[in-house]
Amino acid sequence: MPSAGENLSMRSIPQEVSSRTGVFAVCFCFLFSIAPHFINLPFWVVVIVLVALAWRGLQNLGKIRELPKWMLIPLVLCGGIGVFAEYWTIVGRDAGLALLTVMTAFKFLESSRQRDMLILVFLCYFLIATHFLYSQSIFTAVMMFVTLIVITATLITLNQRDDSVSAIDRIRHSSKLVALSVPLMLILFVLVPRVPGPLWGLQSEQRGGVTGLSDHMSPGKISNLIRSNKVAFRVDFEDQVPAQNKLYWRGPVMAHYDGFSWRQAPRRPLGRLNITVAEPKIDYTVTLEPNGKRWLLALDIPTRLIAGSLMSADLQLTSKQKINDLKRYSMQSHLSYLIGVHESPDYLALAREYPADSNPQTIAFGRSLAQRFDNPQDIAEAVLTMFHQQEYVYTLQPPALGRNSVDDFLFGTRRGFCEHYAGSFALVMRSAGIPARVVTGYQGGEYNRVGNYLIVRQSDAHAWTEIWLDQRGWVRVDPTAAVSPSRIEQGLDNALSGEDSSFRIQNRNPIFGNLLYSWDNPQHGWNDWVLNYDQRKQRDFLKQLEIGIENWSDMVFAPVFMLVSVTGLFWFIAWWRERPAQPQAYEITFNRLLKKLAKKGFHKRPAEDTRAFLQRLPQEGLAQHGQIARIVELYNHIKYGRRGASTQALGNLRTMINSIE
Amino acid sequence: MSLFAPAKPLRRFIDNWVESHNPPIRDSVLLHNRRLYILPTRFGYLFAIMLLFLFLAAINYQNSMAFVLTFMLTSLGIISLWHTHRNLLGVTVRMQIPRPVFCGESCEFKFELSHDNTSKRYAIGVQYLEQPTVYLKLEPEGRAEARLKIPTHIRGEFKPAGITVFTRYPTGLFHAWAWLKYDLPVLIYPRPATNVKLQHSMVEQYDGQTSTSTIEGDDFAGLREHREGESLRHISWKAYAQGKGLLTKTFQGQARPALWIDWDLLTQGSLEEKLSFMSALVLAAESEEQKYGIRLPGLVIEQGFGNAHKHNCLQTLALFRQPDGDPEFRPANA
Repeated sequence: MPSAGENLSMRSIPQEVSSRTGVFAVCFCFLFSIAPHFINLPFWVVVIVLVALAWRGLQNLGKIRELPKWMLIPLVLCGGIGVFAEYWTIVGRDAGLALLTVMTAFKFLESSRQRDMLILVFLCYFLIATHFLYSQSIFTAVMMFVTLIVITATLITLNQRDDSVSAIDRIRHSSKLVALSVPLMLILFVLVPRVPGPLWGLQSEQRGGVTGLSDHMSPGKISNLIRSNKVAFRVDFEDQVPAQNKLYWRGPVMAHYDGFSWRQAPRRPLGRLNITVAEPKIDYTVTLEPNGKRWLLALDIPTRLIAGSLMSADLQLTSKQKINDLKRYSMQSHLSYLIGVHESPDYLALAREYPADSNPQTIAFGRSLAQRFDNPQDIAEAVLTMFHQQEYVYTLQPPALGRNSVDDFLFGTRRGFCEHYAGSFALVMRSAGIPARVVTGYQGGEYNRVGNYLIVRQSDAHAWTEIWLDQRGWVRVDPTAAVSPSRIEQGLDNALSGEDSSFRIQNRNPIFGNLLYSWDNPQHGWNDWVLNYDQRKQRDFLKQLEIGIENWSDMVFAPVFMLVSVTGLFWFIAWWRERPAQPQAYEITFNRLLKKLAKKGFHKRPAEDTRAFLQRLPQEGLAQHGQIARIVELYNHIKYGRRGASTQALGNLRTMINSIE
Repeated sequence: MSLFAPAKPLRRFIDNWVESHNPPIRDSVLLHNRRLYILPTRFGYLFAIMLLFLFLAAINYQNSMAFVLTFMLTSLGIISLWHTHRNLLGVTVRMQIPRPVFCGESCEFKFELSHDNTSKRYAIGVQYLEQPTVYLKLEPEGRAEARLKIPTHIRGEFKPAGITVFTRYPTGLFHAWAWLKYDLPVLIYPRPATNVKLQHSMVEQYDGQTSTSTIEGDDFAGLREHREGESLRHISWKAYAQGKGLLTKTFQGQARPALWIDWDLLTQGSLEEKLSFMSALVLAAESEEQKYGIRLPGLVIEQGFGNAHKHNCLQTLALFRQPDGDPEFRPANA
């Protein structure tokens, strides 16, 4: 039975042994794909990778024999046990990567067939994805393209069946393939409908060492955070950026005090926000770097909820899920407000509690203030005046404090950072009978004049207090402002000008400041357009494009349509470039002669040369052989002659052929 | 055999469809869109499954770069579909009429692949049925020849079965192929029986007298100019040494008898054995430089001599009562 659809199945080829060049290419390809992971992998896994590759390479050169097959199963088992011993699991990001790496390395030891090599190349493609669980920076993305080129070049090597081609040619070819893929990729990236994840719950793990605000505050906690120059979030304002001293980014609120540290008091989500506002709202968009916690930072006071978020009764915005990936949200705030006027008595009681057995000096001081003044506002003023007028110093390097840390700070060292001032102020207020709590978050931010957005870094971390006043509700009091007004007005660097603390771009280099801002710009755009391109962003963007993509069916249809048309276009170009040449005019004329002869019963044999055919005709009894000979001569003259097909020669040929009956 | 091979009815349907859309070719064919087919390979399907996993992972982790990678690899797949197809597009495949061989020998199929494009073409496979594949590379505007040696096991005249010209270059994710059926004769002579001597009992002798000078005979008659095709045995080397050029010795007298290789004189053996025997006799007569003719039931080839005559005789034997069940040429091990 003839099999016309031959080779629909891949018969013999994958069984073939791969060429020596092919094996080396795959070894290099794996090394290239895994090398950036060496810092994320346990040392012994790196050793296994290097040894396995070296073994396979030497085996390829014929220096050593293939590893006996029976050794593979024990090796694979040991690898699995090793990974389990390292992480106490074999799933999850780190353990999964280690397991995949070890198994791939062992796979090399038993691979010689073309099929195995192709599977190894696919594993390398897959490995690229694991890099993005660790970093999604622009650099990682660039590395992805380079790695794609290397892996694709390996695939080309395996399929080329020609070891004489140079590696550079292969790289060139694979670069071409990758470059051609980019436009299609962009179409897919923009148009393929994004499904909100996660599909299954594996999200608990924290990725990478993230820094950020903690759920409790004790002396030294924030000043540690301040040393990090990492970006906490970036903000695009719809309108004017508010003044620096109004930029209080509200984070965890702490009302529970145990004598040393402040903690969050568990509170129910807010059902309804009772707020009286004075100024118009401020609209802005926050692009939050992963913080490993649930805090959603917003300007004090946020007046909008986003999907998947809650606002607790102490006006703290939290996400339902941990923020392990970049998150972007549109927010709305009012900077001037009356809130919590009708606060629950239970919570107010909690906000007055303090352990009586520690910090006796502070407690006594608070009680004496309560006796001296009637008005709670006056008590607060008195403490702030004390901070302002006495020898209190705002510093990143406060001296160590003893067991009664607030006493030591207020009446001893008098040197502290924002958490010292906020914590001690709140305790004084509580001991004077005024409800008080500590709010942590960020203060200020750095305006990027090139990209027109605000950068808030970990070094902008801050702590302040809120006290509850009758008729006025919760009022923000920032004791740091009393000690060091410039911290609030101009930022940390100005407040600490004597200390080594240049975090901001302007201060680092006044001349290249703009350049450095320009460098932060692509990062912001990258976050905005690539990392944050989710369902909402996609919907908004497609609407903005106004190309008629409005609902789900359009969103499914659009990428398919674009793919088919772009592929069709490529196909057409390929066809156009390879299309069969149009027959020349003399060929068309000449074919008429062949038709005439066929009618008379003279057939050209298959594979017979035209000239040979015409030359044998006279012997086979064609009467007009003299004329045929002249036609052949003219035909050859036109086809092979130097002057080619002149109009006159063509006319002659036509006349002569017409005369044959 | 293969996880992804289409089921049998589907396969038969595809076979018929491909066959009906690929008219037989007389000598050469340009591979263009309508001659080329393309489907994913097993690795193509595996690649697609991997992409699906990547896509699910990207959704699950809401990892934008994983989306980028998934879409990048998808695009790479689509681009390689196009490149694999293009690797065959515009290639002209010419098949030469294979030289006739004796049954049992290998028949050599020669394909000339050429293109007049400025691109290089790699790893183009040429395969005949289940025979080992020959891979070719084409330089820009280049040509290359594939020679497939195909074992034979049956005499007769055949048409080649469909020939597959395929490629998986550059990524191996797709298999592009053309199915080419050539309308060319493949002639296989009957296998010559071994140890056959020209015994007079087997042939009918023709005892006509001749007096003309021939190269056969008893008495030396003189020298004449050497004609092309004559055996070197009859050249007068002595005359050649004297500088007279190539001269052939002629003899006068009774020529050796002309023979009839006659079907009716062979009483034993099957049809194939008889043809095999007659084929051996043709070769023997030719090598002993006797005139011979063939008599088959209802068919006579007049006596003659020389290469053309030999091939004519052998062809007649090859075609004689050819079982016309399968005119398609199948190799011995198929």
